[in-house]
Amino acid sequence: MKELQEIAQFLEQGQVQRVVALTRQLVDAGASPQMILNEGLIAGMSVVGEKMRSGEMYLPEVLQSASAMHASLGILKPLLAKEGAKPLGKVLLGTVKGDMHDIGKNLVGIMLQGAGFEILDLGLNVSPEKFVEGITTHHPSIVGMSAMLTTTMLNMRTTIDTITAAGLRAEVKIIIGGAPVSQKFADEIGADGYARDAVLAVGSVKHLLSLEK
Amino acid sequence: MNTQLEKALNVEPSERVPFLPAIYEQKAWFVGETPSKVCRDVNLFTTAVLAEYERVQPDALTIGIDVYNVEAEAVGCTVTYYAGDDISTPAIGPEGAIFQGSDDIASLKMPDPRKDGRMPLNLEVARRVVKVLGREVPIRGAVSGPFSMAANLVGPEHLLMLTVTHPGLVKELLAFSAEVIKRYGLAFLEAGCGVMIFDSQASSELLSPAMYRDLVLGPTKGIINSLQQSGLRHIPLIIGGNTTPMLDVYLETGANNILCDAKADVRQFLERCSKARRAFRRNLDTSDFLRVTVEELRQRAVRTVEESSGYPGFILGTGVLPYGTPLANLVAVREAVREFQGKRQ
Repeated sequence: MKELQEIAQFLEQGQVQRVVALTRQLVDAGASPQMILNEGLIAGMSVVGEKMRSGEMYLPEVLQSASAMHASLGILKPLLAKEGAKPLGKVLLGTVKGDMHDIGKNLVGIMLQGAGFEILDLGLNVSPEKFVEGITTHHPSIVGMSAMLTTTMLNMRTTIDTITAAGLRAEVKIIIGGAPVSQKFADEIGADGYARDAVLAVGSVKHLLSLEK
Repeated sequence: MNTQLEKALNVEPSERVPFLPAIYEQKAWFVGETPSKVCRDVNLFTTAVLAEYERVQPDALTIGIDVYNVEAEAVGCTVTYYAGDDISTPAIGPEGAIFQGSDDIASLKMPDPRKDGRMPLNLEVARRVVKVLGREVPIRGAVSGPFSMAANLVGPEHLLMLTVTHPGLVKELLAFSAEVIKRYGLAFLEAGCGVMIFDSQASSELLSPAMYRDLVLGPTKGIINSLQQSGLRHIPLIIGGNTTPMLDVYLETGANNILCDAKADVRQFLERCSKARRAFRRNLDTSDFLRVTVEELRQRAVRTVEESSGYPGFILGTGVLPYGTPLANLVAVREAVREFQGKRQ
């Protein structure tokens, strides 16, 4: 459908108002919210992710696209819920203790929401104990941790150790991300997964939950 | 005075590669206190810098613990400090920003480095350290770069969004930030030390080189020119992350020594810095200091120096070291580099 391709293109260009207007137009015309999400928003954000990785797009443009996606999701989410679409799983997100950077975490949240996950965002500067409390309260399938600094990434290890000591490690899969971390670091600290960017995080989470091979 | 670093900064052959580990919050560890406590206490802070020199013997010292906070705090942003024995580094979170994107930049207060926030404290530490070590080792006051300071004033995500939606407003914010930084930098010169500029929020991991050129280059050059006109010869501009894509514009800033972080392409830095006759600091991967053996760390340090192919403007450094980084690891790297150089001669 031409309008879905346009949504994807406008999303890529970060044109918030146009994405919202087209979403409304399609919804009013009776299009399936799930189709708008998959073939418009997610398709557009996949291109954004590829362009970010190849250096064609940088964070300011990506944030505009994410903002457009967030606004469109605001229209689609109630409709998806009405259709009886169940969340694919609960994801508990937080930036680790001592770290005040939340851009990456917020992008991951938007992307996972778009992919059908329920997001529980603990915010930034989250202590290991708060992560434990979040797990016991919300029972997520996935815990996502973010760190932007070499000086705070070590708190990911502390958080995993604290979750393990609380006897909760077997209940959740843990995925990490952020500028200084890597797959190697994820392996070293005992995380289950690592994602280089917000778009790839969706695939990693699905993979961890065996929703996608 | 440390001639090794002076030679490297002049891109002249020296006896050994200078070693400049990035020690900021780690300074507090040297005096057994938390960063939140030390960065607000002139006596502890001074003692911590002197202890750093005594134990690590770096080729230069930097006056700064929570480097990016000082200017924005002096304008009115709220820094989160940590109580008790919490060793987290003080920082300005999104809620600490004072400017919410309206058009009233004129209402932002221009701080006086002699009076506002912790600027006077940092300057006093600089004066005291210069008095004790000024003849032995270069001492540089840490200042923010304009983009990083503006990120604290409005919040990083908000600033990145504004670069697309309101670039004119961003230019005004950066001009204001540059003026604050110039005044603070000149106050460091009056205190008897040099200046080191940090602007990692402007890294090409976040901003495109084109955006850097359009928005950040001008204010950055303005700061550097102003410091140069006041007699400062060596001005490091530290931008972390993989800055290879922005190397051209990085060199255009006029900083005579720049950073090649662990993720950046050292071959590109060697080629371009050599043509431009600029020094650069190549960082070891910070996480190595906490996860590999001392022997492995020594080998990595030697390999990193070997990568320099004898370029005289090469300086060995580290990313920002976490609080509690074992002293033995720092000493091992320093000694490995010195022994390696000794064997070559």
